[in-house]
Amino acid sequence: MADGAIDVRLENVSKSFDRVQAVREVSIDIPRGEFFSMLGPSGCGKTTTLRIIAGFERPSQGEVYIRGVRVTAVPPYRRDYSMVFQSFALFPHLTVAENVAFGLRMRRVPGAERRRRAQEALDMVKLEELAQRYPRQLSGGQQQRVALARALVVQPAVLLLDEPLGALDKKLREEMQVELRQLQRRLGTTTVFVTHDQEEALTMSDRIAIMRDGVIEQMGPPREVYERPRTEFVASFLGASNFFDARVIERRGAEAAVDLGFGRGVIAHVDAPGTDLRIAVRPEKIMLAPLGAPGTHDARIREIVYRGVTTHIYLDCAGREVIVFLQNTAPQALAWRIGDAVSFAWEAGNAVVLDRV
Amino acid sequence: MPSSLTGFEPAPLGDFLRRASSYALIATPILFFIVFFLGPLLYLFVVSLLEPSKTELYGTRLTLENYERILVDDFYHRIVTRTLLVGSLVTGTALLIAYPVAMAIARMSPRWRILAMIALMFPLMLSNVVRAYGWIAVLGRQGVVNSVLIGVGAIDTPLAMLYSIETVVIGLMTILLPYMIISIANALTSIDRAYSEAAQSLGANPWRTFIHVTLPLSSPGVAAGMQIVFFLTLSAYVTIALLGGPRFSLLVSLVYRSAMAFQWTQAAALAFVLLTVALCVGTLIVLVLRPGRVQGRG
Ligand SMILES: Nc1ncnc2c1ncn2[C@@H]1O[C@H](COP(=O)(O)OP(=O)(O)O)[C@@H](O)[C@H]1O
Ligand SMILES: [Mg+2]
Repeated sequence: MADGAIDVRLENVSKSFDRVQAVREVSIDIPRGEFFSMLGPSGCGKTTTLRIIAGFERPSQGEVYIRGVRVTAVPPYRRDYSMVFQSFALFPHLTVAENVAFGLRMRRVPGAERRRRAQEALDMVKLEELAQRYPRQLSGGQQQRVALARALVVQPAVLLLDEPLGALDKKLREEMQVELRQLQRRLGTTTVFVTHDQEEALTMSDRIAIMRDGVIEQMGPPREVYERPRTEFVASFLGASNFFDARVIERRGAEAAVDLGFGRGVIAHVDAPGTDLRIAVRPEKIMLAPLGAPGTHDARIREIVYRGVTTHIYLDCAGREVIVFLQNTAPQALAWRIGDAVSFAWEAGNAVVLDRV
Repeated sequence: MPSSLTGFEPAPLGDFLRRASSYALIATPILFFIVFFLGPLLYLFVVSLLEPSKTELYGTRLTLENYERILVDDFYHRIVTRTLLVGSLVTGTALLIAYPVAMAIARMSPRWRILAMIALMFPLMLSNVVRAYGWIAVLGRQGVVNSVLIGVGAIDTPLAMLYSIETVVIGLMTILLPYMIISIANALTSIDRAYSEAAQSLGANPWRTFIHVTLPLSSPGVAAGMQIVFFLTLSAYVTIALLGGPRFSLLVSLVYRSAMAFQWTQAAALAFVLLTVALCVGTLIVLVLRPGRVQGRG
């Protein structure tokens, strides 16, 4: 960001509950205006991390800063953020307008201005007509918008969202993803978004942190974490991957010729030392080729799954499974039959060398 | 129905049987309700509209005189007022004491909470009569309080603490307190933590979170507790007689006395006045607290 201001900073934060260590030494800097996602399987510590920023959990160790102010020991109601809860947590005894105005009321904004700003916030999420309804009279999508309006109306330094779209059905969720992202861009609100849905994280984020067992395994822009996963976990949690053991035969600069066990291949971007590597290749980056072409590997088609946009082809290559995703653009993608003998290959640059863990 | 499109025709007989059995399922409780509740109530109402009789339990001519007497006579006015006063005092003090206790219970870990709830239920297993005698043992002329005060030389003659409106109120309040605590504690524990967190995330300190969120969200439990305590106060004949003494009367005492004196028509009319008081106060509680807002109704 232009001024480089950091809105949220976690410094070496850990959190233990009785037995479980939910968060381990997490450090994050989130610059102003960024849409930052925390992605990971259930139980990996996403919610706990978010609740530490919100002040609902006190970290066992480490410091929390919001807009440069250390808030580690500051109670939630004195921190400059607002939050959208997974259950929305709209107050059932208040109307939509009163719900949205709640934060302003707590900040002692005078009545007239309060009503005006609440109305504006409702306009923003296109719910101006429903101001006098009660939350239970709204659909899930409408409740979601009210929760968003209620959080944004106070113009928080940081917007925290804990799986806010989890309760919506797929179609609505995808609409809300786009809408939420547009709104966030327009307002420039620094946002921390928790999700276990990798597609959602890829779609919406400026930057993603992939968490596992309380640790951030990798952090970076969507393209980077998808194209250059550093660990097997990241490569398989974010999309799908084929994994191979590769032994370096010969190095030429950043490229290397490797023995894959079932043939020879070339890989690029080899900065890892040693000769025994673990590599990942995305299924959509594997090409099927005519049988026996030079530099390819022979295999047999074991299973074909037609998925509409793509066809998933499961190959048997000397006893190991290799998955290939084909775009259904060329008729040839649909021409394969189970049992066919094929060859496959990938471009050197599409093989990613993983960290050994 | 597009059922023919799917090639599936529901069997008419099976359908009928299913519907019949579901009616039977609903019919049973309705039947019980009519036989054991609505029937006797209607009977009582008819009795309250019959003229008194010297030789029978009630006469045969319809009249409003049983109600007229209650509406006109100052004596009855005083009794109704006192009944409302005692009911309000018992309910009010029970609420003030129960709410903080319930909050403490709601904050306990589930294990301790269950233990606390069980502890609260113990006194409810004892008869009210036993507990009223307990109060007599404490507050009576030779009771614990008087013995101690005389023993330390604070007083010479025993204080008359029984047989007053305060004793009745304190006695009833302590006897009924567990109902209020359990009712409110249940409501408080069932409030999703996310609501108070949402309030805090919007800048509400603990006090304002309580006033604007926790309190209104607990209104179903508060309303239920207040209704239970008020209704039980209205009908606590024995406790009122034991702690208030022979000359202390509330509406329920008059019902009892009229019935014992074989003035059935008068007793029935008084019972309906009592019922009306209960319904009015019960409705008032609901109108003021509006628990329906929280429970997903109007
Ligand atoms: N209040 C708590 N008490 C004990 N354990 C907890 C508590 N909150 C979370 N945990 C544990 O911490 C771990 C991380 O939980 P959470 O942050 O909710 O994960 P996520 O949101 O990624 O699904 C889990 O093992 C969970 O059981
Ligand atoms: Mg979670």
